[in-house]
Amino acid sequence: MKLTIAWLYPDLMSTYGDRGNIIVLTKRCQWRGIDVGVKEITLETSVSELKKSDLIFMGGAQDRQQKLAGTDFLKHKGPFVKEMVEKGIPALFVCAAYQFVGHYYKPYQGDPIPGAGIFDLYTEHPSDQAKRLIGNVVAEVISSKKTIVGFENHGGRTYLGKNLAPFAKVIKGFGNNGEDGYEGAVYKNAIGSYFHGPLLPKNPHVADWLIAKALEEKYGKKIKLVESDDTLEWHAHRFAL
Amino acid sequence: MLHIAILLGKLVSWASKTFGLGAGATWPGEIALRLNPTILSSLACNLKKGVILVAGTNGKTTTSKMIQIILEQNGLSVVHNSSGANLDNGIVSALIGKSNADWGVFEVDENTLPSVISVLSFRPKSRNPEKKQWIPDQVRDDKRTIIVLLNIFRDQLDRYGEVDVIAQKWEKALRGSKATIIANADDPLIAHLGLFAKATFFGINDKTKFFTTMEHATDSTFCLNCGSRLKYEGIYFSHLGIWECTKCREKRPKPNISDGKSPLPGLYNLYNTLAAMSVAKILGIKADLAGFHPAFGRQEEVGNVKIFLSKNPAGFNQSLRTVLELGAKNLLFVLNDRIPDGRDVSWIWDVDFEMIPKDVSVRVSGDRVYDLALRLKYAGIKADIYENLEDALSGPLYVLPTYSAMLEVRKILKGRKIL
Repeated sequence: MKLTIAWLYPDLMSTYGDRGNIIVLTKRCQWRGIDVGVKEITLETSVSELKKSDLIFMGGAQDRQQKLAGTDFLKHKGPFVKEMVEKGIPALFVCAAYQFVGHYYKPYQGDPIPGAGIFDLYTEHPSDQAKRLIGNVVAEVISSKKTIVGFENHGGRTYLGKNLAPFAKVIKGFGNNGEDGYEGAVYKNAIGSYFHGPLLPKNPHVADWLIAKALEEKYGKKIKLVESDDTLEWHAHRFAL
Repeated sequence: MLHIAILLGKLVSWASKTFGLGAGATWPGEIALRLNPTILSSLACNLKKGVILVAGTNGKTTTSKMIQIILEQNGLSVVHNSSGANLDNGIVSALIGKSNADWGVFEVDENTLPSVISVLSFRPKSRNPEKKQWIPDQVRDDKRTIIVLLNIFRDQLDRYGEVDVIAQKWEKALRGSKATIIANADDPLIAHLGLFAKATFFGINDKTKFFTTMEHATDSTFCLNCGSRLKYEGIYFSHLGIWECTKCREKRPKPNISDGKSPLPGLYNLYNTLAAMSVAKILGIKADLAGFHPAFGRQEEVGNVKIFLSKNPAGFNQSLRTVLELGAKNLLFVLNDRIPDGRDVSWIWDVDFEMIPKDVSVRVSGDRVYDLALRLKYAGIKADIYENLEDALSGPLYVLPTYSAMLEVRKILKGRKIL
């Protein structure tokens, strides 16, 4: 079996260990004998490369880089990513990317910045005095009841619309907005999350879910991945609980 | 009030050293600052020639020590925050001990730099009438402030915020300052700051040192001026190299200083050396660093253990490359997630551990030992896990620790954390 992962804006939207997600997806495919390739999609890459891929990842960014990537995403790549997500292509949107796929991001001053409208959500930055939501975070995935662990660091507060389900329930930390107790969102086979940077290494169940979904969509059959020895992954996971 | 603050500061310094409470590097200054918030500029006014501030993500401690040594070799007396306490309380603590030196040489924390610049910039009083900040009445035109800007890399985003935010704060602070600026031409972010400040530039002009592939942990590969992608003739490491914007033509300034021999291995120490030599050139004095001994925890040797402080992706990659070039066969990585390290350990996924050859044995320890072991597993390396740091410190070893881990390693090996 073969899998192509599209990594959107690796040079712009990869702030703090986002690469960990790509490393983990790649290795976990290779361990199962899946022939995996990573396509780096950035400003100059044509959308035809994007359309050939089976799994999408997009990470966090700093303000300046976010502006550069945001303009390109809205104009060029976003509409195709939306089409792919609608078709069931699995995707992982982390941090800034999670904000990007919503309807808009409203800074504490100035006009809202439009998003790609892939997820029914919006994000607001309450004021420059508002505390950034920073720290270790633990949540429970609603569908599987399994925990996820990570680190969050965001100023924006994200609110989900009625056409979108939350990904997990916050156990420790802030999550989407620090108010409603939810973290992230799932739409079809796409996940959005505020767990920034390397979300997948300590949460191998999420990595495998994405890989399995990608193969199922591509080959049109139910896929059960070969078990892998995840002792170390779960040890690091439990340590963060 | 000034004298009371200084006296009390000295007393606290004596007490904390005598009773083993600490190195006396921050508390004396903290207490003196609370009694007298303007004590920093009052004390700095006693310096005979001026102050030299050293800022940047990596290399502050080593570079400021190099500058200290150069000045002392030229018969000048120096007060220096050698313990690495680089907030205003650390600088005040150093000055309380010895404020009548010729020069103050201070490494300054990234976030603290703007406020320290505004307090310590010696400049004529009359030029700045609308500024509300307190200007010492002893200000004299014949004293100088020199600011050395080394680099900005991604580091502890949870604590420092984004790279660009720091650069913006620095730019604002420098705009109001009459200080002499020394800037790294090879770092586009720093060079951009230096261009408007009419800086003296240092940089490396040696194409044989170009790195063949680009590291992932790069921060400033887009033009600060117009936002287009920068083109590199070559990269030395991270985003440092010979760069040019293909659109607006902003480009790496020609360095005024580019020839130097580093007393320590690693390309990053060549940058530190060139920065220190730039200070010497501006002051018209000789620079001889041949016998330079590294600062604590920075390539420091304790018995058969060599400690290379490594606290962010750019620094870690450089340390790793350097120890491998030195022929290291046994490595120990120690990862803590305490306040001085940054609580977020995500950055280890930006370190290129994949460069470690198969015949090198790797140990891991620290608060987040399992995060490290997991990162290494995905780099194809099976690391030996030591929950107890003391057990890991045996035999000849190159240790790459985060900041608080470095202090712990020193405590175990030398019986003390800092100096």
